[in-house]
Amino acid sequence: MGRCVRYAFLTLLLLAAGLVPAAAQTTTATLNASVNGLARLSISSLTISFPDSDPDTVPSVPASQGPVTITARARTSVNGAVTLTVQAADQLRSGLTTIPASQITWTASGPGFGNGTLSAATAQTVAVWNGSGVRSGTQTFFFRNLWSYPTGTYSLTMTYTLSAA
Amino acid sequence: MMKAVWSGAIAAAALLVVSTSAFAQATASGTVNVNANVAARASLAFSSNAITFADADPVATPVMTATALTIDVRARTSNAANVTLTVLASGDLVSGSDSIGIANLTWAAGGAGFQAGTSNSTTAQTVGSWTGSGSPSGTQTYSLPNSWAYNTGNYAVSLVYTLTAP
Amino acid sequence: MKRHILAAAVVVMVIPSGLAAQRLDLAVSPGVITFPSSDPDAVPVISAAPVQVSYRVRENTGAPWSLTVLAGGDLISGSSMVDISNVTWVATPAPPFQNGTLSKTVAQRVASGAGNVPNPNTTGSVTFRLANSWTYSTGTYTQTILFTLSAP
Repeated sequence: MGRCVRYAFLTLLLLAAGLVPAAAQTTTATLNASVNGLARLSISSLTISFPDSDPDTVPSVPASQGPVTITARARTSVNGAVTLTVQAADQLRSGLTTIPASQITWTASGPGFGNGTLSAATAQTVAVWNGSGVRSGTQTFFFRNLWSYPTGTYSLTMTYTLSAA
Repeated sequence: MMKAVWSGAIAAAALLVVSTSAFAQATASGTVNVNANVAARASLAFSSNAITFADADPVATPVMTATALTIDVRARTSNAANVTLTVLASGDLVSGSDSIGIANLTWAAGGAGFQAGTSNSTTAQTVGSWTGSGSPSGTQTYSLPNSWAYNTGNYAVSLVYTLTAP
Repeated sequence: MKRHILAAAVVVMVIPSGLAAQRLDLAVSPGVITFPSSDPDAVPVISAAPVQVSYRVRENTGAPWSLTVLAGGDLISGSSMVDISNVTWVATPAPPFQNGTLSKTVAQRVASGAGNVPNPNTTGSVTFRLANSWTYSTGTYTQTILFTLSAP
């Protein structure tokens, strides 16, 4: 009798302590998430303009818009290279008169961004990063001002390319 | 002394932002227009604003020569336009009621585009001429015949230079 | 012998009714929850197709029951990882269902109630949502989640 009573109380004690497994039913599901490569580029200014200036007093003309803010959003593999380049479509042109695109330079700020010189022949690196993320920086453009330029309103188009490997 | 022409900048641009996605490589591109305005402009700089002939013995120094005047010309103009530098005297060299005819004041020139000449108070005389934009430099070395006939005095005249870049 | 029978009778009398063998049924469909790749700017939160959770609780008179979910870890794709806490869910009807956030350490309650749920067609809808971010590395991420229906 004493042993049976002890079993009964032990059972109750275990129940009270929650050590006896409760009724449970389980099932599993699998989560799948696809993350594809993706890139998006936004540029704060639609236009970059260099006003006429005296070459003696302003040998390097800053763009009237001030710094251009660039935001690059990219999804790539772990540590995958993300590169932002810019290339001029042509020289600065005013009718038949041209000024080399290389007379336009920039200084940059922001992680991954670097200074550079515009080129119509080769895409120039603006910034380099690794891995996915959203990065922002600025480019401040300058126009080398020379007395030798013929008068005119020169223009060119430059194309930014953001590549996420 | 200078003629400079300014024109306003006209900026027009368009931004095109495109994004693509792919498993292997993703690219996005944006296009920005760049405008640079280069207006007609002219600038003159002289090594000195005074040309001085020191008193000299007409026998020993029959022609007085001043220190060479360096002239820096800077001009922006259209491709084939003529850039011209002229000088016009305000009158004769004058000292009180005495005078020396301005035609006695001549110059020799050095530098591409510069030319020798004789001062004139009625018609601007060409000092130099060029084609298109640029920043040529040259010299003018003024001379004045030394004559026993000159009355004593400090003679002066103003010379007005005009640089034209159309 | 009589003493043994007496002891057994006492035990049966004292055991709470909930200890009696509850009958629980649980099914989740579909078994694969897929988040398609989306532009984080256009789709900041990616919703998967709703999951239908069918459950039934019997012989559980008066006792509580709960449905929980526990992630086996973070979303993994090779060496890349997306923290599982970026996965949340919205569930209906509420109650007994409730919204929540996945955890890989503590089972999170999806639904709870008391007593029996005798209807075999009782279902809830759980829509999992993944917070989308530009910081995710490319890949196909996967993880197993465990649903547990229990009646203590």
